[in-house]
Amino acid sequence: MLSRVAENLYWISRYIERAENVARLLDVGFHLELDASGLTGDISGQGPIESVLTILACRDGFMKARGDRPIDRESVLRYLTFDRQNSHSILAMCARARENARGTQETLSGEAWSQVNKLYLYLGSPRAQRRFEASPSRFFDGIKRACILFDGLVEGTLPRTEVFHFLQLGRYLERVNQISRILNVKLHGLRDGGPINEPPMRIVHWSSLLRSCSAYEAYLREHHDRIDPEGVVRYLVLDADFPRAMRFCVARCVESLREIAGGDEDEYRSEAERQLGRLDSELRYIDVTEIFGRGLNTFLTGIQDACNRVGDEIHQAYFLT
Amino acid sequence: MFAAPGVTRAHYAALHQRLGHLGAEELEHRHRAADLMMRHQGITFTVYGRDQGVERIIPFDPIPRLVAADEWDRIERGLKQRVRALNLFIHDVYHDRLILRDRAVPPEIILGASAYRRECVGLRVPKDIYLHISGIDLIRDATGEYLVLEDNGRTPSGVSYVLKNRQVMKQAFPSLFEQYNVRAVDDYASNLLAMLRHIAPAGSDDPTVVVLTPGVYNSAYYEHSFLARQMGVELVEGRDLFFDGGQIYMRTTRGPMRVDVIYRRVDDDFLDPLTFRRDSQLGVAGLIASYRSGQIGLANALGTGVADDKGIYPFVPEIIRYYLREDPILANVETFRAAIPAQKQHILANLDKLVVKTVDGSGGYGMLIGPASTREQREEFAAKIEANPKGYIGQPTICLSQHPTYIDGKLEGRHVDLRPFILYGEEIKVLAGGLTRVALPKGSLVVNSSQGGGTKDTWVLRGAPPSPGSIRPEPPAARSGGVA
Repeated sequence: MLSRVAENLYWISRYIERAENVARLLDVGFHLELDASGLTGDISGQGPIESVLTILACRDGFMKARGDRPIDRESVLRYLTFDRQNSHSILAMCARARENARGTQETLSGEAWSQVNKLYLYLGSPRAQRRFEASPSRFFDGIKRACILFDGLVEGTLPRTEVFHFLQLGRYLERVNQISRILNVKLHGLRDGGPINEPPMRIVHWSSLLRSCSAYEAYLREHHDRIDPEGVVRYLVLDADFPRAMRFCVARCVESLREIAGGDEDEYRSEAERQLGRLDSELRYIDVTEIFGRGLNTFLTGIQDACNRVGDEIHQAYFLT
Repeated sequence: MFAAPGVTRAHYAALHQRLGHLGAEELEHRHRAADLMMRHQGITFTVYGRDQGVERIIPFDPIPRLVAADEWDRIERGLKQRVRALNLFIHDVYHDRLILRDRAVPPEIILGASAYRRECVGLRVPKDIYLHISGIDLIRDATGEYLVLEDNGRTPSGVSYVLKNRQVMKQAFPSLFEQYNVRAVDDYASNLLAMLRHIAPAGSDDPTVVVLTPGVYNSAYYEHSFLARQMGVELVEGRDLFFDGGQIYMRTTRGPMRVDVIYRRVDDDFLDPLTFRRDSQLGVAGLIASYRSGQIGLANALGTGVADDKGIYPFVPEIIRYYLREDPILANVETFRAAIPAQKQHILANLDKLVVKTVDGSGGYGMLIGPASTREQREEFAAKIEANPKGYIGQPTICLSQHPTYIDGKLEGRHVDLRPFILYGEEIKVLAGGLTRVALPKGSLVVNSSQGGGTKDTWVLRGAPPSPGSIRPEPPAARSGGVA
């Protein structure tokens, strides 16, 4: 496959994954604010929706764009959804995904391309504005579904060639990154002695953390009603079967990269494969006590660094040929 | 559609009756459904003008244009004849130059044409084929005869719309389509691929074909991508290719891969910065060297622009007679050449009635439509023609036929032309139909999409048309809605 096309594919799915993630975070934040209105949020002074700015590392940008105007829920939601100047907004990310997809139309299936295109056109339309105003929650739900439909079309219409594997690699690498950011920010408020002390509110926040990763129901089925830090971290980091757990995502990346490189389990052919293999075995063999022993924050930062290194190595190996 | 006011041409009768039954609301609905489908699939082109490009969908008109079987038969024979002659002409111009010796065409018109490429003199191309893909614009005159308005032998575009329009029409009017027994257009991509493989350098058993595009910002990018996908080949940009040891390679995730044939949608001038424009970012340094040494096939060949130059156009009937010793089956539109003093006088005296074109212009830019022009525009053109008579030709405007077209809920007559596509590989093949372009603004004669033109599906009938009473009603079109 052309290197340029491979790079486009990888970024299409990273952007779509990010857009979906923003929609999910905003939706969960919106619900949490209904539940916990008047209460302090995850980080002192920040409500759940505002904390999304921190998760996406675009708080400074928002403050600058806002200037002296007061900060309210609506302005944050709009900044993260429709603002073309904000490179982290859902619209900006879908625009970039679509630009990449336009340059690779002949490689994606017609259905998958048309899905990205439709999503982008919808976001810029008056219809999207009306829906957002009528019900943010339904609006975000629609965006999540549109992104998941793209994944589904990739899954259901593309042969398992390099095209598919570059898409899968981008999607899962991005997902690991996002999960670690969400955990980092949300757990900050939930640490012992943190701002959220009241037991029922702790449950609300833990549940919302799980919901941010679409993990609430799956978690309950697995662990019943025990929502505790160890359980949640074990599930979102170390579970092998849940599609939004880090270990699951890294395993998919390993699979795809191996298919792309054409190697087998016994050897690695590039630095990217080696780095990814290490991350994979770390997540396989570490246990939750060790994670807490090392300090959750340190552990998560380590994961993010590893993801960044893998990303750089993928660029070196496949896109800069 | 009409032979005279109120008199429907025989093969249109069933369609006419069907449209009458559909009703304005249903027609509007189908029209909108077709538009939405185009937009969702990203079937857009980019218009350049004041600021940067704007992506638009090309307006699609749901009323098909019908061509009767016997009409088409003549068109097809005429196109094959014309392409065969033009191809011989290009070969001759760059090799033996018999036509110059015999003075069938004034030499200064050939050698002075802006698309004449000195670099091609003596250059042998695979199988001596130059015009692999051409689009020849036809119009119907007042008597119903098809005439050639323009030849396009460089990188004619529009074929993707032919294929897409057909898909849309099959969805919008399934039973009408079925009963009309329309000739299929679906074989275009496989014929194109077979033709491209035919011109591969000797020795490549399983040639690798690519489509070369200037990139996503090109106005015809959608088409480039569409054709690559339909043929199942890579769509490359100049930066994806490189020259090494006489051959052309593409950069892939598994290292360099050799390319044998390039269907290039990049103009001659931009193909190779070492040979042509040095500032070109769109081409591949070394491509022409590789082409010269016979290591790569190019479609169309280099230098084909000499055949579709508007200064050459008036001589094409002569070119056909010269090389084939046959009379042209399709005539030209009457054309006045400003280079000839008497004809220049005629053009200047009738600027308000003629269409004046620059000989090297295309895309509907740089032309004067007499009847729609202002005094200032005419004076400006008169001055330009005086200054450079060789640069201009004039043609009467009266001859573009009209066709019923869906405008704001009603059917109105609009001017149309027809661009059939011709492939020249092992044999010459004409796609059954072609792109019918329609000038949407009332009274407009310019059908180019960059100037407010739309398109229609063109139905070439296989046999006799259905009788009006026999058409089954269309099932109501499904209403759709929902989120992105």
